[in-house]
This record gives sequence, structure tokens and C-alpha cells, in this order.
Amino acid sequence: MTRLVDPAGLGGAVVALLPELFLAAWTLLVLGVVAWRHRTEEDSYLVGRLSLAGVVLAGLAYAALWLQGVRTTPDSAMVVLDDFRIAGAAIILLVAGPTILLSLRFLDRQRLLAPEYYVLVLLATLGMLAMVAAADLMVLFLGLELMSVAVYVLAGYDRFRRSSAEAALKYFLIGAFASGFLLYGIALVFGATGTTNLRLVAERLGPGPLSPMAGLGLGLLLVGFGFKVSAVPFHMWAPDVYDGAPTPVTGFMAAGVKAAGFAALARVLLEAFPAAAAAWQPVVGLLAVATIVGGNVVALAQHSLKRMLAYSSIAHAGYLLAALWAGSSVGLTALLLYLGAYCLTTVAAFGILLSIERVGSRTVLIEDLEGLFLVRPWAALSMSVCLISLLGFPGTYGFIGKWSIIAAVAAEGQVLLAVAVVLGSAISAGYYLPVIMGMTMKPTRTPQSHRQVAFSRAAKVIVAGAVIANLLFGVWPAPLVDAARDSAAAVIGAVGGGVAGR
Amino acid sequence: MTDLLAAIGYDRWILNVLLGLPLAGMALVLLSPAERARWITLVVALVEFVLSLGLWWAFDPADGGLQFRVDVAWLPQLGIRYSVGIDGISLFMVLLSTAMMPLLVFGSWRAIDQKRRGFYSLLLALKTGMLGVFVALDLFLFYCFWELLLIPMYFMIGTYGSEGRLYAATKFFVYTFAGSLLMLVAIAAMVWTVGQGSGTYSFSYEHLLAHRDLLAPAAPWLFTAFALAFAVKVPLFPFHTWLPDAHVQAPTAGSVDLAVILLKMGTYGFLRFGIPLFPGFALSPPVAGVLVALSVTGILYAALVAMVQPDLKKLVAYSSVSHLGFVVFGIWAATVESVQGAIIIMIAHGMATGALFFLIGMLYERRHTRLIADFGGLAQVAPLLATCFAITAFASIGVPGLSGFVGEFLVLLGSFGRFPVATVLATLVVIFAAAYLLWAMQRVFFNRLANEANRSVPDLEPRELAVMVPLIVAMLWIGLYPKPILERTEAASARYVELVAPYLPGAPAPVAARPAGAP
Repeated sequence: MTRLVDPAGLGGAVVALLPELFLAAWTLLVLGVVAWRHRTEEDSYLVGRLSLAGVVLAGLAYAALWLQGVRTTPDSAMVVLDDFRIAGAAIILLVAGPTILLSLRFLDRQRLLAPEYYVLVLLATLGMLAMVAAADLMVLFLGLELMSVAVYVLAGYDRFRRSSAEAALKYFLIGAFASGFLLYGIALVFGATGTTNLRLVAERLGPGPLSPMAGLGLGLLLVGFGFKVSAVPFHMWAPDVYDGAPTPVTGFMAAGVKAAGFAALARVLLEAFPAAAAAWQPVVGLLAVATIVGGNVVALAQHSLKRMLAYSSIAHAGYLLAALWAGSSVGLTALLLYLGAYCLTTVAAFGILLSIERVGSRTVLIEDLEGLFLVRPWAALSMSVCLISLLGFPGTYGFIGKWSIIAAVAAEGQVLLAVAVVLGSAISAGYYLPVIMGMTMKPTRTPQSHRQVAFSRAAKVIVAGAVIANLLFGVWPAPLVDAARDSAAAVIGAVGGGVAGR
Repeated sequence: MTDLLAAIGYDRWILNVLLGLPLAGMALVLLSPAERARWITLVVALVEFVLSLGLWWAFDPADGGLQFRVDVAWLPQLGIRYSVGIDGISLFMVLLSTAMMPLLVFGSWRAIDQKRRGFYSLLLALKTGMLGVFVALDLFLFYCFWELLLIPMYFMIGTYGSEGRLYAATKFFVYTFAGSLLMLVAIAAMVWTVGQGSGTYSFSYEHLLAHRDLLAPAAPWLFTAFALAFAVKVPLFPFHTWLPDAHVQAPTAGSVDLAVILLKMGTYGFLRFGIPLFPGFALSPPVAGVLVALSVTGILYAALVAMVQPDLKKLVAYSSVSHLGFVVFGIWAATVESVQGAIIIMIAHGMATGALFFLIGMLYERRHTRLIADFGGLAQVAPLLATCFAITAFASIGVPGLSGFVGEFLVLLGSFGRFPVATVLATLVVIFAAAYLLWAMQRVFFNRLANEANRSVPDLEPRELAVMVPLIVAMLWIGLYPKPILERTEAASARYVELVAPYLPGAPAPVAARPAGAP
């Protein structure tokens, strides 16, 4: 049973934005608490737990909307409430919650006690939710900026390390640059069509070729999003930023920011420019190939585990771009499935990584993990499952994601792109395997430091849950496939069957 | 017997049980103390073997199609089903791998003395993967099993192998993984093409086979993608370089599993999927020419390389490359005799090479070396070991009366009409095989007992005899009385020939849109 609400009216807007309103109010409340309690470790834990409650609250609000079947009317103005938004929000909240939980002990251990951290995570989450909810380029930009500014600060949160400050500055400068591109793109699209509403843009552009102004606007939008999702050649900031930021923040960026960026990009391309596929498909395809090749090849040369994961996350952006290239409902389904798999795995991998890191030490090198299996078998096994899933091996959820991308691309008759995807995973075996090999097959060189590896209870629960879910969905992904299909249909179905008429 | 099996519904549950039992055993091994691991594995292996024996009687030799079918929905949204079954081709692969299982446990009984739980759970996981490859009739399921095998094998070589194990494990993984990824793209494209043409998106082998004409336009690259995956596994020259490394570095059980089962997956893949799905392209003279040329090159080249190997295990590894070339050859000749011959070589090679690897493992346990030069005159101190080695070597060479002869003879007989020159060249290999194996045997077991360390080599103990005797009996049985096997493979081979015959050069142009016998 579906109930339609129109967000143009006040009542409709409140219903359609219920989770975001809850979260915003809660964030302000938490900010108030911070102003009053920000001195001791207990304060930090308290604020962390309160923030988690905020994420849970937003999640409950989404669950309620979903269960009640509340949807916005098809021609809604600023925000839209459809299955796609709910799926995107679910992924984002499932990244934000574990990020907060994993940060609790981590911040304490790294002596980074400042409860504002959690407020920033909440603000970034709010921005991401606005991005997936946007039916209008302005709302999208608003969400994007809210997310970005909060994450700039988070990246520099480790004030004892230079690399963290460097990461923040780099991210800020490049991010501001990217925002400039996006805003200029929006302005040009507005100039060409007289509107910033995604569906109206599509309507006014009509089926013919793009006018030069609209084309330029689309190009600038793609550049801006290219920066945000770290597609080659706009990826230069990503490794340094991912490497320098505190580890939970890196996980949050690699999973959450990327998910929000792709969800928004998918909406822009498929809702505002479905008829201009001939213009953007070649660009997205080339970006995909460059990103897959660039990310994977450079990841081969990394010694630091965190940096290796950073480059591998660039490569994964390439696979996601390939899914987006397809532009069909199958492609969008694949995008969502892959995002789910990628985020689930990334959260678990970073949960393990941050439990291995120690106070004040240099970053964890891949060779530091040698022999981990002998001392901490479960940690080594969980990490192996994560890496095998990122590799896209049968039996893991990662394979289902990779498979659906290949199927989607092949269904458009574009075999070369599918081949690029599989060649990318063949290359990625070259850097995922040595980690597994080091952990399980090589002798321990540093048993003492392995023994110090300490998983907090939250980390244990999150990692174990994510790994089990990964294997479970690898064998039985049917419910997720159904959900992803419905969500994709919400975007594609509404604009008349996607770019290829399917 | 047949009635009894029918009464208990054997044909409905047997394949599920065979696939599930090792996994259950694996869970049990992981949960039990390490010292019980080998006992649990042994019990599972014996139960599995005894259960699989029923296939021998329950199998209907007159039926060339797929039997023991189980077909349930797995991911209906994507057209993916859990669909398994066997015919005369896969029957023996299944029996071979279940029969090898107890021998593998016995063979590793003493050799693996640490990290036992890990080893035996990998062994059990491998078994499920291998059986899965041979029984899967849904291409998605097939691909899953095909890839899943890599992980346990990778860990087995990498964790339990000898000095160069890390390099060998990586090479094994990268070669086979890279080789099979293109197959994944080909499967996706195939399902989509057939789905567009027939209206049903399905990964079912039978569905794809029935509509294979729709695949003809894309056949060149689809076949190439499949062929690459299979050629790496066979391994066909020049994709064979991972094999000697993997074989030499793997623990005995790993080498045996590689030789007996893993290498057959490639030839089985050609026989089941590669050629029947794309017969027009695969059997066209240029493609067949290339494949036959590669296999003959491999047969001769590997035999020559084997001759100069100082390491016994490497020698046997190269002999595998040589033998498997024969199988490819027989498959492409596509006559009933040559296909039956190919199947029998697959069985015979599994037994002879598996036995050779067991024997080399036993030698290694005694002397901690595999270099031929370190041995000499062992027949004086270990006559039983020498006898077993001699019989196995003769079987591998293809001496009449032993298992190797039957298959090679049938392949040569069946393919002479189609590839006369290549057949003559391939026959030469029998001479080379005799040369390298007999020469190695002479240097290891005969010659003078010069090295003092060899004086104290003990002979085979009862546990080791329990491994060797069944294998030797089987070699003699196939060599002297292959009729039961020929009976059971004939209908399936005939069906294969029937599927591809219209596309052979010189055959009347294919008129039937659907191959006969397809659903």
C-alpha cells in the first residue's frame, strides 16, 4: 500500500524529510551537550553514544516511512522519497553507525578526545542523506557541501600528525575546486533550461542533442563528481587524504562519501540527462576504464595497507562507473548491489585495520601483518574474507556485485568494458593476495606486536557481523537483488525505461 | 542392487549428499581437536566413497543423457538454478575423485604433522569443489565451483608445500584466476544473447545447448574466452608453466589432487561446454588445427623436457602435460572411439600419475630429497617400493595390459582418420615416455647403491601398501578388462559425437535448428 505525499506543502515536506529533520534536531541537541560536557573521556563516550542514537533514530524514521509505504508524488519539487532514496539512505546509515561505534575506542586510544568529532560525523551523514534525497540540483549541492565541509575537518582530526593536517588541507583545496566545478555546471544547466529540478531539466532538454551550454554544464558536473568519487584522472588527492586521515574517518570516506556521491551522480545522469546518454556514456566509459586501470596498477606498488586500500577504493569507483555506464535498470541494480557489497566489506576491513594500529606508531605496512594468523587467527581470517570479497570471488557478496556489473555491461553489448572490469580484478589479485599470503602463510616476525592487537567489543561485533553477512549474501543474495531492483526501477521506471529504452 | 538403490531413492539425493558431506566434515574437523582431524576425514572419505559406489550400478549405461538430476531454484530472479546431474563422461570423474579421497588421507597420515585441522579441512573443501565442477549443469553454479577450488588449493600449496611454495601458490592462483575471468564475461554475454533470442534468461546448460544457434555469431570470442580458461587448466602448451611449479611445491596430497582431478577439469570443460556449445567455430579447420597443433606440440615438448629433469616430481609433472595433450587431441577428433579413449586416458592418467606422486612422496618422506641423482639402487633395500614404481611407470608409459594402453590406443585409432600426420607424431611420444620414465626408474631403483644414505631406506609399510595396492589393482583391471568402463562411456560419447558431428568439416551442412536429443 502506497501513500503519496507532496513535499510542496508543509505537511508533505515534514513527512518526506522526517528522518533528516530528526537527525538535524538531534545533531543540534548533541552539539548542546558537547558545549556543556567536553572535558573527560567519559564525556567523549557519552557524546559518541548519543550520536549513535541519532543515527538509529534516523534509521527508525526511514524504516517507518518504508513500512508505511510513504512515497512522494511523481512531480515533487525539491526532495523525492522513493525506493532508491531509501536504499541509498540504508547504506549510508549502515556505514555511519559502525563508524561511530568503531571510533569510540579508537579515539580514546589515540588520545584524540574531542567530542565534536561525533557531531561532525552526524553532520556529514545528514549531508549524505540530503544528497540521495535530492530531486533538485540545489538540494543536491547543499547536501554535498554539508557533507564535504564536515569531512574536511574530520580528515584533519588527528592533530598530532602532520600527515593528517596535510590530508585535511589537500582535501579542502581540491574539494573546494570540485565544488566550484559542480556549481558552475549547475549554473550552466540552469542557464540552458531555466530550472534546477532534475526531471524538469530532462523535460526541457527534450530528446534532441544537447545545446552547447547544457553540454558544458553536464561536462562540468561530471568533472565535479569525478573529483568527489575519486575517478581517474581526478583522483590525485585520494591516496594522501585516505592515508593521512584517522582510520575510522578513512573508512567513512571510502564507503559513505563514495556511496552518496554515486547515488547522486546516478540520479543526475539518469533523471536529468537520460536522453543525452550519447553525450555522457563515452565519457563515463572512459573514466571507468581509466579508473579501473589506474587504481589497480598503482595499488600494486603500495607497501602501506591503508594506502593500498585507498588505491583499491579508487579501482572500485571504476567498477561502479562501469555499472553507471550501462544506464539501464540492470546497471542501476548492479550499482546498488555493488555499493552494498563494497561498503559492507570496507567497513569490516577498516574495523580490522584500526584495531591493528597502535598508538603513535607509523602506518601499518603489509609486511607487518606477516604471521598474524598464528597469533590472531580470527582477525586474519576475517581480513582474508574481506579481501577475497573485494577481489570478487564466488561465495562472497563481492562476487554477486561484480557479477551483476559484468552482466549489466554485457547486456548493453559492450564486451570491452566488461573485459576491463575482469582484467581489473585479475590485476587486483596481485595486491590482495600478498596480504592474505603474508597473514596466513609466512612466519611471524613480530609476535609481540601481534599479541597487542586489541579488538574492542564493538569492533568484534561489527567485523564478525559484516563478515558473516558477506558470506551469507554471497550464497543467498535473493532479497538484496529484489530490493536493488525495486530501487532501480524507482529511478529508471519514472523516466521511461533508461537510456537504452530498456 | 539396482532395485535396492531405486527403493531408497538413491538417484534423487546422492549428488546432494556427495557435495554436502565434505562440507559437513569440514565443519566437524574445524570444531574438533587437531589430533582427531585425520580420523574424521578418513571416515567422511570412506562414507563418501561407499555412497558413490552406488552410482556404478544405478547409472543407466544405455542413456547418453544426464542422469541423477536435481534441479531447484537458487536465484530465480537471475535465472540461476542449483542444477546438477551426471552422464557417462562425468560419472568416472566423480568416482575417481571419491575413490581417491581415502587414499589421500592415508597418504598424508604421517606427512602432515602440524596444522592438521587446516590441512584436512582444505582437503575436504577441495573435494566439494571438484565434485561440483563435474556435476554442475548451470553455468553460474559451474563457475562458482570452478573458482572456489582455487582457494583451498592456494592455501594447500602455500601453507603445506615445500621451499618455493609461496611463489608456486601465487603463480597457480594468478594463472587460473586470470584465465577464468574471461569465461565469466563470456557466460554473461551468452546468457544475455540467448535470453534475447529465446525470451528466457537462464544459465541452464540444456537451455543454452538447445539454443546454441543463437550463439553462432559471437562464437569466436565466446569460445576463445572458454578455451582460455580450460587451456590453462589442462594445461595446454604454452599455458602450462604454472603446473610444474605447483606440482613440485605442493604437498603430496595436493599434487595428487592436482594430477587426478584438477587437470581433468580443463578437458572435461572442453568436452561438456567448450565444443558442444560452439561446435561450428570450435571444429572449423583453422581452430581445430591450432588446438591440435598446440596439443601435439605439448605432447612432444613436455616429453622432451621431462627427459632432462633432475627432480622426480618435475619429471612426472611434465609427463602430465604430455598425457593431457592426448586427451585434447581425442576430443577434437570427435569419433566415438577417440572420445572414449580420451575419457579412459583421463581415468588412467589420474591413477598412474596419482600413484607416481604418492610414491615420490613416500621417497621424499624417507630421504627428504626428490633429486634423481641422490638415489640409486633402491630396489635392493626396498623391493616393494621398486615393484610398485615399476608397475605404475609401465602403466603410465602405456604398456599393453595396463591402464595407459587402452586409452592411447583408442585415441590413436579414432583420430587417425581425421588427423593422420598429428597422430603419427603423437605416437612418437610413447617412445619418449618410455625413455624418460624407464631412465628415471633405472637411476633411482637400479644402478649401483652408491650413496650410503640409501642403505637404510625402509620398504613400504602396511599403510602405504594400502594406498598403492588399490591403485595397482585398478590399473590392471582397466588394462585387462576395460569393458565395463567402455559400456558406460559409450552412450555419452556417442551423444557428444552426435551433438558435434554436423559441424565437422566434410559433414553435410547442419540443417536441424536444434541438436537431436536436446530438450
